[in-house]
Amino acid sequence: MTEHELVGRRVVRIDSLAKATGEARYTADLTLPRMLHAKVLRSPHAHARILHIDTIKAEKLRGVKAVVTGKDATGVKWGVFSYTRDHELLPANKVRYIGEDVAAVAAEDEETALGALELIEVEYEVLPAVFDPLEAMKEGAPQIHDHAENNVNIHVPIEVGDVDRAFEEAYYVREDRFVDTEYTYCQTEPYAVLASYDSAGNLEIWTPNASPHTKAKALSNLLEKPLSKVKVRRVFTGGAFGGRSDIFPGEFITALLSMKARRPVKMVYTREESFTSVRQAHSMVVDSKIGVTKDGRLLASEIKLVLDGGAYSSTGPIATSVPFLVWEETYRLPNARFNGYRVYTNKPVRGMYRCHGRAFHGGLGMQLDMIAEELGIDPLEMQLKNALKAGETQATGSRITSCGLSEALEAAAERSGWKEKRGKLPYGKGIGMGANGMMVGFPMGIRGGSAAIIKFNEDGGATLISGVVDNGQGNESMVVQIAADVLGLRMEDINLVSADSEVTPLDQGAYSQAATFVSGNAARAAAMDAKEQILDIASDMLDATPAQLDIKDGKVFVKERPEWNVWLGKVIRKALIDNTPVVGRGSYMPQVDQSRDWVSNPQGQHAGTFSFGAAVAEVEVDTETGQVRVTNVTGAHDCGFAINPMAVEGQLEGSVASGGVGATLLEEHVWDGGQMLNANMLEYKVPLSVDMPQIVPIIVETIDPEGPFGAKEAGLWGSMNMFQAIGNAVYDAVGVWIKEFPITPDKVLRALEEKERGS
Amino acid sequence: MEKRLVRLKVNGEERDVAVSPNETLAEVLRERLELTGTKMGCGEGACGTCTVLLDGKPVRSCLTLAVEVQDKEIVTIEGLSEGAELHPVQKAFIEHGAIQCGFCSPGMILTGKALLDENPQPTEEEVRRAISGVVCRCTGYAKIVEAILAASDST
Repeated sequence: MTEHELVGRRVVRIDSLAKATGEARYTADLTLPRMLHAKVLRSPHAHARILHIDTIKAEKLRGVKAVVTGKDATGVKWGVFSYTRDHELLPANKVRYIGEDVAAVAAEDEETALGALELIEVEYEVLPAVFDPLEAMKEGAPQIHDHAENNVNIHVPIEVGDVDRAFEEAYYVREDRFVDTEYTYCQTEPYAVLASYDSAGNLEIWTPNASPHTKAKALSNLLEKPLSKVKVRRVFTGGAFGGRSDIFPGEFITALLSMKARRPVKMVYTREESFTSVRQAHSMVVDSKIGVTKDGRLLASEIKLVLDGGAYSSTGPIATSVPFLVWEETYRLPNARFNGYRVYTNKPVRGMYRCHGRAFHGGLGMQLDMIAEELGIDPLEMQLKNALKAGETQATGSRITSCGLSEALEAAAERSGWKEKRGKLPYGKGIGMGANGMMVGFPMGIRGGSAAIIKFNEDGGATLISGVVDNGQGNESMVVQIAADVLGLRMEDINLVSADSEVTPLDQGAYSQAATFVSGNAARAAAMDAKEQILDIASDMLDATPAQLDIKDGKVFVKERPEWNVWLGKVIRKALIDNTPVVGRGSYMPQVDQSRDWVSNPQGQHAGTFSFGAAVAEVEVDTETGQVRVTNVTGAHDCGFAINPMAVEGQLEGSVASGGVGATLLEEHVWDGGQMLNANMLEYKVPLSVDMPQIVPIIVETIDPEGPFGAKEAGLWGSMNMFQAIGNAVYDAVGVWIKEFPITPDKVLRALEEKERGS
Repeated sequence: MEKRLVRLKVNGEERDVAVSPNETLAEVLRERLELTGTKMGCGEGACGTCTVLLDGKPVRSCLTLAVEVQDKEIVTIEGLSEGAELHPVQKAFIEHGAIQCGFCSPGMILTGKALLDENPQPTEEEVRRAISGVVCRCTGYAKIVEAILAASDST
């Protein structure tokens, strides 16, 4: 139980009232005077040269106010890193996937814009295309980018220890291949942008996003405008899950249209466009070889990972590295060799999705269970033997300062009745376990930190100004809860101004699991700074030293004699008269090795801290239909400290849906070449309320030495460990390993048939 | 397309609107009446985000033509609370942490209300079935089910 007034308690989130009443406005809900509506003409070809675009007829259509093509763009290419700038957001010469942006129209209404698209004539020279990353790497495959031989976009090599020798010394070695198809975020809010450009050259942007500062900087580069003129505003965002982090053609094109028409322009994507033309998760092939000692300790790990990156780099170097990093963040790996390849194909662009890879985390987690089975070790034992602990250093050099992995494993096992159930349930029913470790706040250069300001009104209320970004997790509420706790105020006494690239200080955004750890720490520091100023001023008024004072319920009081107190508003007024207005400032930058680089130097402290978790899943497998049903999930998450336990539980329960039932059993994209066949929510299956298991969430608190009140992060848990937990449970139920995700009925039936034939 | 004048009864008020025959109720609510609390998640009847109440029954406003519903009582999320007093389902969603990104919340809350009007003491299974037409990507539905049960007479 918490000793604090506010943090650690189940509080109502500050954003929930507006969301329950319909007052919360998302991008598509916004309108501005004289606003136009935009639509994009998209490529019907997977790979083609654009020879000529004729927009004259479209421009002449009544109601059309602007048409843009690649010729209107600056030619500056987008890339997250200086060495990955390969994406012309409105290409002038070549398209590389079906659904890529070719031209766009802004008109008085959406119907007119759509009509105008039909009047645009594009002459293409169709080029040979490639859709499979292993094919794309072969000699003679169509080359998608001139700079990338064999279509290799990124290669991340990591080598630790003496891998070859370790394999020779290993008691048992096994090799497996795991495969994963594409899946996607499918946030409930479709992608949308509102852009407004004025005569003074100010560009304002509203779009669902995970980092307004990152968007603003990218747009300032791409449009060749000073950063002070590009202002990305706060707006409610309907889910992100990694899919709002990058820079997308939509915001660039909408900005171009607004600049050309000199009117505000809104573009709202259809669900199909949100599927095909923003971002989706990587598909991958994982070849993993693991060597262990006789008692099941990991001795050597060698992994070749091939990611299908689609047409452009996006966050490529990060996507290519993160699967391995998460592996080394969970288990002790004395010797490891990793070769990650991200390969270009003529498919839509793949971006950040949680931690990249059902096949990776699910596969390697299943391999541990396979080895345990071979050696006659209980999977829980196997996990505990290899799980990292506080004080240890990971393979590539990150020190772990707090770690509740073993505690989480044991808690999940005990609450689920693991010992009574594993291997003992009737045929068709099974129980399985998964584990994960996760980086919290990784090196992002100048963009890796956060700062906050808190100012006071003469009535004792305050305004917190923070770059913190909320995509639904509760981050806005989290910083207010922290600041209110420090200042002895109620949450409703503090207004929040957030996520505005012009007004709020730089912040890493809802990215790299850093909001609580980094933005929360900055808000805490700002509140502590303000408190110090307040106590200093009040010490004169109460004839006491600042150390003898504290604040509670909006009053500054003498700790020894609480009846000696002064109203906070009075202190604020005195500060104003004395020309020492109370303005708290705070900042935080995670202690990471800034020289660490994803590709060229994957060594050194990679994150400020690490969170850990474990899950136990129970399943029922229908051997007639192949259908897997998850009946129960017991999840334990080491979040450091739960600032708001209700919000932490919500994150955990949500990832049972997205990472567990959805990603493990249901979600995948189906293709005909480069054409996505299920770009709609009828055929792209996401979990519904009736698909969900009973969930027992367990919060493990390890009080991180750096985190605000000891907190780390709460979002990434089941989206990494549920694949393994369910995959292992399916084996426990029916004795087959499904090595391709998602685990759909056809794969289960095929495996069962093969098993029958084999026996 | 030629527009027709229709009279819609929305949240207890009569509103005259000129609409095209192919305009959906969702479009009319959002774009003409500025009731943007009704969200559009897919526009093809799959996600349930645009759910509103039509004579007390939940319907997908993206699949409903505005010209069809002239004689019916339409309730959107903006019409659920009475003045400052929130509906018990709204209160329960707030108190139980059933709202994360909030995009599905209007459709979810209205669906919950319609269920409780018809069945004031639902079982957990009945709640899960009732909301199975509305997609939530954030919560895993656990706290939504908990909130609707808390607002019911079942607890």
